[in-house]
Amino acid sequence: MAEDAAAGAFERALTTWPRDGVPRNPAAWLTTAARNLALDRLRRRGVETGKLQEWTTMEDARGRTPDDPAERAVGDPDWDDRLRLIFTCAHPALPLEARVALTLRTVGGLSTLEVAKAFLVNESTMAQRIVRAKEKITNAAIPYEVPAPDALPERLDAVLAVLYLIYNEGYKATSGTSLQRPDLATEAIRLARLLVGLLPDPEPVALLALMLLQHARAATRVDEAGDLVPLEDQDRSRWDGSEITEGLALLEASAGRRRGAYRVQAEIQAVHALAPYASDTDWPAILSRYEELPDAPIVELNRAIAVGMADGPQAGLAALARLAASGRLDGYHLLPAAQADLSRRAGLHAAAAAHYRAAIGLAPTEPERRYLERRLAAVEV
Amino acid sequence: MEYLLMYTQGKDPLPYDPADDNIAEWAADTQSRGVSEYGERLRPGEDATTVKVRDGNVLLTEGPFTEAKEWVGGFDIIQCRDLDEAIGIASRHPAARFGSAEVRPFMVWPDAAPGYRVVPPGFPERPTKGKRYLMLVCVDPDAELDGPGDADPWVEEMDGRGVRLFGEVLRPPADATQVMARDGRVVVSDGPFTEAKEWIAGIDFLEVRDLDEAVEVAAAHPMARGGLMVLTPAWPFDVEDDHVERARREASELGKRSEPGVGVAH
Repeated sequence: MAEDAAAGAFERALTTWPRDGVPRNPAAWLTTAARNLALDRLRRRGVETGKLQEWTTMEDARGRTPDDPAERAVGDPDWDDRLRLIFTCAHPALPLEARVALTLRTVGGLSTLEVAKAFLVNESTMAQRIVRAKEKITNAAIPYEVPAPDALPERLDAVLAVLYLIYNEGYKATSGTSLQRPDLATEAIRLARLLVGLLPDPEPVALLALMLLQHARAATRVDEAGDLVPLEDQDRSRWDGSEITEGLALLEASAGRRRGAYRVQAEIQAVHALAPYASDTDWPAILSRYEELPDAPIVELNRAIAVGMADGPQAGLAALARLAASGRLDGYHLLPAAQADLSRRAGLHAAAAAHYRAAIGLAPTEPERRYLERRLAAVEV
Repeated sequence: MEYLLMYTQGKDPLPYDPADDNIAEWAADTQSRGVSEYGERLRPGEDATTVKVRDGNVLLTEGPFTEAKEWVGGFDIIQCRDLDEAIGIASRHPAARFGSAEVRPFMVWPDAAPGYRVVPPGFPERPTKGKRYLMLVCVDPDAELDGPGDADPWVEEMDGRGVRLFGEVLRPPADATQVMARDGRVVVSDGPFTEAKEWIAGIDFLEVRDLDEAVEVAAAHPMARGGLMVLTPAWPFDVEDDHVERARREASELGKRSEPGVGVAH
């Protein structure tokens, strides 16, 4: 019953917002909508109130608070609808692209057209995706609530993954002519900030820190011509000091608590942020952080680069060669790009040129391709 | 909300470990929560029979409609609050640790009688009178439905004959959720267990004399003229069994057909 009413409110939110725009206070709006719907249905189906009562009593016996939106809204003024909305939108029973779209659309308040543009699909495709997800929420009865404590860690991971995916799509577009789509990166930071406000757990805090520390470099990652500027050539004086300060403060405030993958990644970004010049970078510290991350091909790639920077390019090249032999990153342009860069540093120009050519063939965006072509030209001289 | 749980090997199966099979505990837990309506283990895929009717001919195929590893090894019908509760129940089933559990909501009809349940009340206590089969009603998107599609007359007839014990239409595969438990974590993803083009649109649980009667009942279903019916015999066991002994016994039974042979196609 309560879920039914909440799903109804959710549905109304999804159908009304495109027409009326996002209400100024979505949380309050949804609360009221859910409450009205619940009361409405209670009145209409008076016979069922006994059953509802029985059900709420059962809930109480299990040590959980009643979930009836009407009761919750009245009894608990701190109940924040947005947290429920975040967990519902990022529910792992929904397809990943739908989770991302729903989160941006309903939690972020972006229009369907904006979400469609961000993911380079047309508006009707995106609208269809959102409608489908909305239908599954109703049809499969995906609850509109914050998960129970035993399911919370996994469900929180799903939420963080969606936010980081949105951020990454903005940070480094996976296709297209422009390297960055800043609207998505800032949107992801805004959403992460919202989540931290609602659920100040160590991992959401670490994710926000990670985003801020990476985003601080956004303005220096491309030059005036829109070409990629690698980390070591970036003008560090133009890094965003306030984002770095906030990111570092967040890490410090949550220090000593659970060290999840986002925290470790944020600490790696902090090492970069704290180096006044590229040559000051504490690569051994970065390498030791990579050792902490769970084994994944992309982590291995970054670890091999850190080995190259900490222990010399030959050691890094050996690690990259092992990764290449495993075939786990076949077709991924950053593997040959890393091999090319470490070969160049080792003075192996012919090998570097061959790897740059391989990377150029695989590069997904124009700025990356142009950058690799410039590098290729430099080693061919 | 009522859900069908279907246990399959899934994409990433682990070897069956009888020491980790706590089905009796799971059954007791779902009983105590009052969420379980009915469930049954099914015989291995090679004991399944696929029935379809094309141009008036009944065509039989041995085995399930997809690759052998994709057969449904068992099912449960549960009644619970929402998808999260269903996911919790599915994730604790031993099959989720070795294989995968698909959670699929049943269709909710606006005109359903108040208090309607897929499994009639008192059904689990009913003595078995014949051979029981789970019939999966599958849609074949490449085939045209030949004739009227309304299944109500079939339901009425088979209920009248007492061969259809219960059955219901399922929500489409887009509303399905996969649940696995690996390394103590619950892994949830969207979509149905099979990537085959045919998809399961509903189920009926039959009680018949033998396979021939099951085939006759299945062939009379309007969906047999455009889709396909998969009949898999139930394979009941007693949860009070010594499950390690049971697993050993079952392992020795594997591959041995215990069903009567398929009759000549009509």
